Amino acid sequence: MQTASDPAIEFRQVSKRFQLHEGRTLREFIPALLGGRGWSPPFYALRDVSFSIARGETVGIIGRNGSGKSTALKLIAGVMAPTSGEVLVTGRISPLIELGAGFHPDLTGRENVFMNASILGMSTREVKAKFDEIVAFAELWDFMDTPVKRYSSGMYTRLGFSVAVHSDPDILLVDEVLAVGDTPFQEKCLQKMRDFQAQGVTMVYVSHGLDVVKQFCHRAVLLDGGHLLAAGDPAAVVQTYLDMVSSMQPTA
Amino acid sequence: MAHLQIAKRQPLRHGVGAVDLAAHLLAFWGRRGLLWHMTVRHLRGQYKQSFLGYAWAFVNPLSQMLILSFVFSTLLRFESGGVPFPLFVFVGLLPWIFFSSALASATDAVAGSASLVTKVYFPREILPVAAIFTKVVDLAFGLVILVGLMLYYEHVPTETIVWVPVLFMVHMIFTAGLSLPLAALNLYFHDVRYLVGMALTMWFYLTPVIYPESAVPERYRFIFDVNPNAIFINAYRRVILLDDSPGVERLLLGFAIAGGTFLIGYYLFKRMEPGFADRI
Repeated sequence: MQTASDPAIEFRQVSKRFQLHEGRTLREFIPALLGGRGWSPPFYALRDVSFSIARGETVGIIGRNGSGKSTALKLIAGVMAPTSGEVLVTGRISPLIELGAGFHPDLTGRENVFMNASILGMSTREVKAKFDEIVAFAELWDFMDTPVKRYSSGMYTRLGFSVAVHSDPDILLVDEVLAVGDTPFQEKCLQKMRDFQAQGVTMVYVSHGLDVVKQFCHRAVLLDGGHLLAAGDPAAVVQTYLDMVSSMQPTA
Repeated sequence: MAHLQIAKRQPLRHGVGAVDLAAHLLAFWGRRGLLWHMTVRHLRGQYKQSFLGYAWAFVNPLSQMLILSFVFSTLLRFESGGVPFPLFVFVGLLPWIFFSSALASATDAVAGSASLVTKVYFPREILPVAAIFTKVVDLAFGLVILVGLMLYYEHVPTETIVWVPVLFMVHMIFTAGLSLPLAALNLYFHDVRYLVGMALTMWFYLTPVIYPESAVPERYRFIFDVNPNAIFINAYRRVILLDDSPGVERLLLGFAIAGGTFLIGYYLFKRMEPGFADRI
């Protein structure tokens, strides 16, 4: 049985390897198979990474592009499986990764709300109960019967965000979504995340916005080249990151 | 509140033993709401921005039936054993169109949902199964034409027609069992979709859709014993047109093939599933 002290998310010596140039056709695959060699040199997006995130904790993952942040999120979301090691996750996950991924352009806003919520694991009854809240949060009262292909990109993401935050998650995965929408909507999102913090929702926040990480996260994790370089107090980890970046490139 | 299957996800290593398969099926059943939404989504996308819209679900089988009847009955004088040829062809054609369009569509189902598969986890078999269910709706439109044909030729089916739903369930399980590994393999080798297209064309001619089994020389009839579609289509004809039971021996064979195909197919699909997001 799980207890309250169980971490919400735990990485145990997780490595994730990718094939960079994959053989997509049999013609590429069969010679590689017969030759007994790999199709392409492997690339490690994560290497022997261990950390755990307690329930109710907000953890920021920072690092340069290609450091393995998004791979870590995908492993938590259960979309990818680690090459070695274990990823343990407890709770209902709502990924705020590229919002509206499940939207069908020809379906109306209303239909897409039900569709997307269902993808996130909500029952129809749950969606019906929260429908007005979802629409109100997205501020799209007049557009629910419009196909989403007529939406602006801001409306699209607002609706996607609204569905995801109303899916009653235990764990929220946030990947740079606060950059969407106008300033009032961004503030509304931040407020919603603070509410989640207060309610004890676990959050993993991947961002280049270091100030937000410092203000908003309880802890931070620094990844570079697939290795875990530092974990702990956000201000200290952000400083480590800044030092690392400035030591790599001469000051402009 | 019902939690997702991943509520306590021990390492995402997909077990594929007998017990695990049962758990996977249970998880799949738990997400039937999503299956419904996915099916609707497919349906809405299928004939979008076409002038005739869902009328295409009528036009397609009807036009095939007319041309096949003209070529093989009027021009080539194929025998259909006392049953009007258009009716004979259509009873075989409808399940064939269901099978072939479902297989082709399901093969592409996972690859065609890349944006979802790389973002959110849900049992991936929902995608090919939704593609198959979409084709069930097309089949239902075709049934309306079938009823029309029966009225036109004044063919009154007997009580053996109650076998049709049973046959169709088995046929659908077979279709799903074949689709699942193909949908997974299609992510690894894009050749699969072309292979499926080619195989379906050849399969059509090796299945007694446009000709009766009796027109084939005895020594080649073994083809119909090992061809599940032949078993199903012959059985549909017997129960709808010939007032006959589906043939217990053949039917048991059909059951066995469908069940075996599904178990193996589902097993292979679940084995490959953890790698989908890497490959897509």
